[in-house]
Order: sequence, then C-alpha cells, then structure tokens
Amino acid sequence: MAPDNNAHDQGQSPGTGPDHHDRFVFPKWTNRLREAVAVAALGGVVYLVVLVAGVFSPQNSAIGYAPEQPVPYSHSLHVGELGMDCRYCHVTVETSARANVPPTATCMNCHKTVRTTSDKLAAVRKSAETGEPIHWTRVHDLPDFVYFNHAGHVQSGVGCVSCHGRVDRMEVVEQVAPLTMGWCLECHRNPDPNLRPREFVTAMDWVPEGDPAELGARLRAERKISPSVDCATCHR
Amino acid sequence: MPRPIIYVLLVLVAVSLVPMGLLYRANHLPKNQPRLQVVPDMDQQFYYKAQTENPFFADGVTMRKPPAGTVARGMLAADDAYFRGIARDTIFVAEIPATVTRPMLDRGRERFNIYCAPCHGQSGNGNGMVHARAQALGEGTWTPPTDLTSQTVVDRPAGHIYNTIANGIRTMPSYGAQLSPEDRWAVTAYVRALQLSRNATPADLPVETRAALGQ
Ligand code: HEC
Ligand code: HEC
Ligand code: HEC
Ligand code: HEC
Ligand code: HEC
Ligand code: HEC
Repeated sequence: MAPDNNAHDQGQSPGTGPDHHDRFVFPKWTNRLREAVAVAALGGVVYLVVLVAGVFSPQNSAIGYAPEQPVPYSHSLHVGELGMDCRYCHVTVETSARANVPPTATCMNCHKTVRTTSDKLAAVRKSAETGEPIHWTRVHDLPDFVYFNHAGHVQSGVGCVSCHGRVDRMEVVEQVAPLTMGWCLECHRNPDPNLRPREFVTAMDWVPEGDPAELGARLRAERKISPSVDCATCHR
Repeated sequence: MPRPIIYVLLVLVAVSLVPMGLLYRANHLPKNQPRLQVVPDMDQQFYYKAQTENPFFADGVTMRKPPAGTVARGMLAADDAYFRGIARDTIFVAEIPATVTRPMLDRGRERFNIYCAPCHGQSGNGNGMVHARAQALGEGTWTPPTDLTSQTVVDRPAGHIYNTIANGIRTMPSYGAQLSPEDRWAVTAYVRALQLSRNATPADLPVETRAALGQ
C-alpha cells in the first residue's frame, strides 16, 4: 500500500500539497473488494443455476398436478376395484389422436340403476337430465404446438401405465410424467422397455415374464416399430 | 464500508430471496393448483379443440355433428341385414351376415371383455363385477344382467343380439356408440361361442380331446 493512503486515513489534513489535492484515494475497505466480488460472482452463478433449474424443473411445471373435478369420480374404484377396462370409457384412445373423456351417457349406463340417490352423483344426474355436459378439468395438457397421437402409441403396444402411471390406484387423476420434449425423446430413442403385446396395453399391473427390454426388442423387430425423432414428427 | 453501499447490498440480498421464495411456493403448491408456467408462449393457442366449449355455436359444443339426413361418402348403411340385423320388415336375421373367422372371434372376445363383462361377466353368465357390487350394496333399482348362455338368449336370432348391442334392451343401455357394426357382429359371434362352450357336452369335443379326457 502506498504510504500516502495511510497518511490520508490518519487524518492528516488533505490538501497539504498539490499532489494530495487532486489525487483520488481508494478507501481502506476496498482492499478486500476483489475477494468480495469473487465471492459474490460465485454466489450469483449458483443462485442463477438454482433458479433456472428450479423454474424449468418439470417437478414444478407439470408433475403432481391433480385438479379437483366437478364429480368425485374415482379410477381407483371403477378400474381398481370393479376391474373396468380403460376403453369402456376412453373409447377413442385406440383409433384417434385424442382419448375422449366419456360423455354423461357412459356414466348413466350404470348409474341409471346403481347409486341412484347418491349426492356424489347429483351433478351426473343433472347433466343427464339437462344435456349440459359435465365440465371436467383437464389434467394433462401439452403445449398446442406439439402434436401427440394416442392411437399411434396404443397400437404400437405402449401401455397407458408408461405415460399415466398407476391410474387404477388414483382417487383423483394425477399427472406423473413430465411431458417434456426430453421425456418424449428418451422413449423414442429407446422404446424397448415400454413395449408390450397389444392385448395388454390397458393392463395396469402387467409385467413381462423376462426382461422387458428383451421382449420389447423382439416386438419392435416383429412389428417394425421405429419411433421417429425428427422434429416434424411432433412439431408439424 | 459506507452505509449507503451496505444498505444497497442488503436490499439486493433481500430482493434476491423473493424469486427463491416464489420458487419454493411453486414447489409446494397444493396438488389441485395449476403448475408453474414460466414461458407460456403459444402453449395455449386460440383455436378450439375436441371436447371444449365454443361460444360461437348455439349449443356451445366445438365438435359438430353432420347435419341431419346427410350421409358421408361411402358411409351409406343400406344393407339392412348387416347394419340393422333385420332380414325383412321386423324379422331379425337368424345367422350372422358375415363369415366368422378366428380373428373376428378374437376381436369379439376383446370387445366383449371391455364392454359387456363388467355386467355380464367374462363367461357371459350374468355375474360381472358391477353386478356383484350392486348386489353387495343391495341396490333395489339394479336389474340383474341376463345370463347370455341361457336358453332364452341361445334361441334369439343373431340379429336380435346385434340389435340389443346397437340399441339396448329394456334396462340394458345401448353400446352402439362404442361398437361399430363390424364389432357388434364380432361380439355377437363371441356370445355364440360362449353359449357353445357353456352348453357343450363331451360329444361336441374332437375325438382326440375326448380320448385325452378319458371319455
Ligand atoms: C368409468 C369410466 C372410466 C374408466 C373405466 C376409465 N376412466 Fe379415465 N377418466 C374418466 C373420467 C370421467 C375422466 C375425467 C375426470 C378426471 O380427470 O378424473 C377421466 C380422466 C382420465 C385421465 C386424465 C385426463 C386429463 O384430463 O388429462 C387419464 C390419464 C385417464 N382417465 C386414464 C385412464 C386409464 C389409464 C384408464 C384405465 C386403467 C381409465 N382412465 C379408465 C373415466 C374413466
Ligand atoms: C359399469 C358400471 C359403471 C359405470 C359405467 C360407471 N360407474 Fe360409477 N360406480 C359403479 C358402481 C357399481 C359404484 C358403487 C361402488 C361402491 O360404492 O362400492 C359406483 C360408484 C360411483 C361413485 C361413488 C358414489 C357414492 O355414493 O359413493 C361415483 C361418484 C361414480 N361412481 C361416478 C361415476 C362417473 C362420473 C361415471 C362416468 C364417467 C361412472 N361412475 C361410470 C359403476 C359404474
Ligand atoms: C406415450 C404416452 C401415452 C400413452 C401410452 C397414453 N397416453 Fe394418454 N396422454 C398422453 C399425453 C401426452 C396426453 C396429453 C395430450 C395433449 O395435451 O394433447 C394424454 C392425454 C390423455 C387423456 C386426456 C384427453 C386427451 O387425449 O388429451 C386421456 C383421457 C388419456 N390420455 C387416456 C389414456 C389411456 C386410457 C391410455 C391407454 C390406452 C393412454 N392415455 C395412453 C400420453 C400418453
Ligand atoms: C413410452 C414410450 C413413448 C413415449 C414416452 C412417447 N412416445 Fe411417441 N411413440 C412411441 C412409439 C413406440 C411410437 C410408434 C412408432 C412406430 O409405430 O413406428 C411413437 C410414435 C409417435 C408419433 C407418430 C405416431 C403417428 O401416428 O404418426 C408421434 C407424433 C409421437 N410418438 C409423439 C410423441 C410425443 C409428443 C410424446 C411426448 C409427449 C411421445 N411421443 C412420447 C413411444 C413413445
Ligand atoms: C417426440 C416428440 C418431439 C420431437 C421429435 C421433437 N420435439 Fe420439440 N417438443 C416436444 C414437446 C412435447 C415439447 C414441449 C415441451 C415442454 O413443454 O416442456 C417440445 C418443445 C420444443 C421447443 C420449445 C418451445 C418453447 O417455446 O417452449 C422447441 C424449440 C422444440 N421443441 C424444438 C424441436 C426441434 C428443433 C426438434 C428436432 C430436433 C424437436 N423439437 C423434436 C416434442 C418433440
Ligand atoms: C351396464 C350393465 C350391462 C352391460 C355393460 C351390458 N349389459 Fe346386456 N344386459 C344388461 C341387463 C340389466 C340386461 C337385462 C335387461 C332387462 O331384462 O331389463 C341385459 C340383457 C342382455 C341380453 C338379453 C336380451 C334379451 O332379452 O334377449 C343380451 C343378449 C345382452 N344383454 C347382451 C349384451 C352385450 C353383447 C353386451 C356388450 C356389448 C352387454 N349386454 C353389456 C346389462 C348390461
């Protein structure tokens, strides 16, 4: 350190000489400025990484969403206990891009004569009477610039459980997959562990006897399944 | 360090905690709240999707039906026997107006197990899971589903079963919306197969199988 500085700090009146008069002198606390800036920069980088990772994490943006529905319909009761097949209600899942949410008429197949006075079903009965559909809240929702097709996946033998989880245990449907591009591509690059014979696509608890990847590789070869990773497959 | 700088730094640190707090909140949202959406650009575009509401139409429905009385090309269901199960006037066709093949029966079994088994049971004897549950609950309004292997249904013409699927019967709902004409015949064929298997005698078995069973 220049002795001038010390002199300055010791309270020697400035302006004793022409040099002192117009020279700017850094105060003493600036001596540690370099280290301080380094620490702050490091902290800032860590801060930004945590923030960006957190903000873009599917854990925050997708997984775990389970909105309340206007009717306390339970998959765990109808599928898990009563053993109904997904396609009883989601009829179009094998033939079209969208899996339909069932119309009131489907519920009334049974609820015309089962639990006819239940309060939980009041909204269903009202909808059947008036013809006004039940306003179910969407759970899974890809951005509108992405093209997705259920039929293509279900016909190729990708089970519902691979993307929607154990729906048969859900009282309220909950999103379990992140539905990010990385997630789609991970399977498109290597679909083998998720392929199964066509007749088991809706079976929630089905597991292959041997190694899933081995069976998948065989099925893939047999049926010439080759999921594309070209951008235009999903962005069209 | 001069006071103002210290204050500025303190304020900066405090402000930097705000996004972190928001992030923490987003991470701990109740499950029924929509998730965090950082860059919502073009995620929700202004066009109408299947099964959504549409204020443009009087009935508010986006998915339009074809106008009444119109038929799409190639969709004219003129063949009464195939599309309605009717031979002439109101007489049902006795036999399935299509060739019954193995793939057709397999398809029929799959569809039967999806749409009929909840009530009629996988073997068709009327003992499905929903029936069992309704009985257990003591539902007074519940009508037991018919045993499809009973003589009444064995005696029904194929067209009658087809019509039951397409339009329902008495308390049984219609499955016409879920099953195409092709599938309805496949299910009818499978119901016939169930009836055969339920009412079979050893004499119906091939000779080798009979020998294996020691008959
Ligand atoms: C008895 C009819 C019925 C059956 C059977 C059924 N579902 Fe559903 N499903 C519904 C209804 C009604 C909704 C809309 C309300 C809700 O989200 O809970 C729904 C919603 C869903 C959703 C969420 C849709 C969205 O908005 O993102 C998924 C995923 C789903 N079902 C998967 C399945 C699977 C997989 C099976 C078979 C294991 C199945 N469902 C069987 C009636 C049914
Ligand atoms: C194949 C027959 C069947 C269909 C179709 C069906 N359910 Fe059910 N549902 C049942 C049976 C049986 C019960 C009673 C189970 C019990 O309480 O043990 C039940 C119970 C319920 C309950 C609980 C009622 C209460 O008081 O506890 C609700 C809510 C319900 N269903 C909603 C729906 C909705 C919504 C649909 C249409 C998407 C639907 N169900 C379609 C058979 C059916
Ligand atoms: C490859 C992954 C995948 C498989 C397999 C899959 N789904 Fe989906 N499902 C999705 C995605 C992604 C969405 C959201 C689609 C959107 O927002 O356009 C979705 C949405 C849905 C919906 C809401 C309506 C819709 O179509 O947007 C229902 C109901 C549904 N799936 C049921 C099923 C059933 C039942 C099966 C099995 C027969 C199944 N899904 C198999 C990925 C899958
Ligand atoms: C679990 C595995 C898996 C996941 C996850 C998956 N896919 Fe696929 N996808 C497949 C398979 C298998 C095929 C069939 C390829 C074939 O038939 O050759 C396919 C085919 C497709 C096709 C072409 C289908 C057609 O009919 O043209 C599209 C589009 C597609 N996937 C979009 C998506 C999108 C978007 C996502 C993410 C939301 C996704 N996929 C997630 C396995 C998967
Ligand atoms: C298997 C399906 C699939 C394929 C193939 C695919 N994408 Fe995507 N892409 C998606 C999905 C799903 C999203 C939405 C992701 C999300 O919301 O997190 C997406 C999002 C994007 C986005 C982000 C848009 C935004 O503003 O958030 C860009 C950019 C993109 N894709 C570019 C590409 C390019 C370039 C390719 C080719 C190399 C490609 N994608 C191939 C499924 C796919
Ligand atoms: C929601 C429960 C339910 C389902 C699902 C159901 N049925 Fe029925 N079915 C009934 C009931 C109840 C009856 C008896 C109707 C009556 O006597 O009032 C019946 C009667 C019948 C009969 C006898 C009609 C007659 O008297 O000739 C046939 C045949 C039949 N069902 C076929 C089917 C087929 C095929 C399917 C699948 C596509 C099916 N059912 C699905 C409840 C059901």
